[in-house]
Amino acid sequence: MTAVTAGRHRGVGARLFASPSVRLVGNRLLMAIPITLGVSILTFWVLNLIPGNAAQQLLGADATPEQIRAMELQLGLDKPAPLRYLDWLGGAVTGDLGRSLVSGQSVAGQLGERLAVTGELVAMAFVVSLVLAVPVALLAAYRPNRLFDRLSMFVSVTGLSVANYVLALVLVLVFAVRFAVFPAIGFVPLSESVGGNLHSLVLPSAAIGIPMFCLYTRFLRGDLVDQMQGQDYVVTAQAKGVGPWRVLLRHAFRNSSFGLITVVGLNLSTLIGATVIIEQIFALPGLGQLMLQAINTRDMAVVQACVVVFAVVAVLANLLTDLLYAVLDPRIRYGSR
Amino acid sequence: MAVVEAPPVPVADADEDAPRARTWTRGLGVAVPVALLALVAGACFLAPLVLPVPSPTGGNILEAGLPTGSPGHLLGTDPNGNDILSRILYGGQTSLIVAVTVNLLGLAVGGTLGALSGYVGGAADTVIMRLLDVLIAFPSLVLTLAVAQSLGPSLTNTILALGFFSVPAFARISRAATLSLREQPFMAAARLCGTKGRRVLLRHIAPNIAPQLTTFGMLGMGVVIVIEGALSFLGLGIPAPAPSWGNMISQGQASLSATPMLVLWPSLILFVTVLAFNLLGESLRTRWSVR
Repeated sequence: MTAVTAGRHRGVGARLFASPSVRLVGNRLLMAIPITLGVSILTFWVLNLIPGNAAQQLLGADATPEQIRAMELQLGLDKPAPLRYLDWLGGAVTGDLGRSLVSGQSVAGQLGERLAVTGELVAMAFVVSLVLAVPVALLAAYRPNRLFDRLSMFVSVTGLSVANYVLALVLVLVFAVRFAVFPAIGFVPLSESVGGNLHSLVLPSAAIGIPMFCLYTRFLRGDLVDQMQGQDYVVTAQAKGVGPWRVLLRHAFRNSSFGLITVVGLNLSTLIGATVIIEQIFALPGLGQLMLQAINTRDMAVVQACVVVFAVVAVLANLLTDLLYAVLDPRIRYGSR
Repeated sequence: MAVVEAPPVPVADADEDAPRARTWTRGLGVAVPVALLALVAGACFLAPLVLPVPSPTGGNILEAGLPTGSPGHLLGTDPNGNDILSRILYGGQTSLIVAVTVNLLGLAVGGTLGALSGYVGGAADTVIMRLLDVLIAFPSLVLTLAVAQSLGPSLTNTILALGFFSVPAFARISRAATLSLREQPFMAAARLCGTKGRRVLLRHIAPNIAPQLTTFGMLGMGVVIVIEGALSFLGLGIPAPAPSWGNMISQGQASLSATPMLVLWPSLILFVTVLAFNLLGESLRTRWSVR
């Protein structure tokens, strides 16, 4: 607190550094670094446990030990693991993620294309689920235990119990096999046709988005009802004569949005996991598909890069969650905990 | 003076009835899913012992692809001539064993680690929690895939791989619950009495964090059953020909448009089981007012 008041007399830069939210951002960014490092080390270690290396995989089963040895030398696989990790890290920091052992392409280049597909898929699922969940939860919480509320809770608990791959297959069965409305496979790149691209992503993003919609609706509805019943500020607002919708929207929803943000942030890594399966089912050329192919061909450079990208996205999502707290809640306790 | 006459008082009646009705439904919230789960588990584990259920593997190729309701094969057979109902029952054994073991593993290792970490605090807490943060930062399915791939597909390895992501989640819940207990008066009292750390953990902390961990475990059961299926789907779960609900669904995917029932039967039972676990978790959460 003293730093904040003292900051008033200093320059803009000093004031910025003294600001609690900037310090919060700085702290969280600093914490994200060791976590990302840890993730990359863990991946490297786990991948090293996989029996059979890329040299064997490339040369096939009937390669002689000499051939394998020569290939290992060529690929640099003969060096000890910690050294190889440091090599990789040095490259990664400068944006060079190495070359794919199988295709020989630059990993960073491959990642870029794939990341765009996965990103689009996640974004579509995300927007649709939130845009649907918020109004449904508000309507449900407006009159708890009435028909609409019960119906929405039934749908969301049911939807949460459906595995996403089952949902994906059922969607394919209904919308691609029974009524040929949407394609089951066949991704159309955005550069080719915007409409075709969206059309080809409808089923995959629904398979990811519907369970998320259910999760958000159930959470938000529960939290809103909790806020509306027995919170002092709600009673005060009602006593002042504030209309029920206004209390719900401006008072309760504002408070419930924190919980929702937490759930959304925590859920993001589950969501990323879901894309791996969904991309596999719908044959989408995304990051998950690339990683799965790379795992099967022991293309370590690619697997390593994919996992680290997944982890960095998850860490950034958590960071963003924390920052949104600070923006939304002026009471946030900086630095404590 | 009829105007003054008060109407019969249904209000008071309703007030008296309301809590009773609520308790009654609340009891149902636990009883229904428990009954469902008992039914599923009983069918999977007991039915093959008591009833003449055909073997789930090594079926006769001449009986391949029989439709639902064929004599001797209630739900028909798959393209290898194996009885689908039998595969669902035996597959259920696998799915349930995996779910229970993984959650017990998570509860034992993660729960202890989290409670210790929260109780001891200080540097140990920081180190443990940072390490777990690394695990949590991993998208769980991605990590599980990597672990499953490096260990090779088998029942034990599936359990280990899934345990890898179950432990940090349990640890987090357990630590948070322990931290909130630390400020409670009875904890201060225990400290003042000179109670040893071990006893505090076992007798004071463990019973108090049990509701949270149990609730989480119930929801976790559903999650594990689903993820086991996902692993099978990606070819890294229980290896064929042994059945699990997940690998049945993934094998059925190949002929989805021709024989959708191959996917739909195991999907249905998977859904019912996961739903029962989720409902049970929800009811326990409300009953114990766990957040």
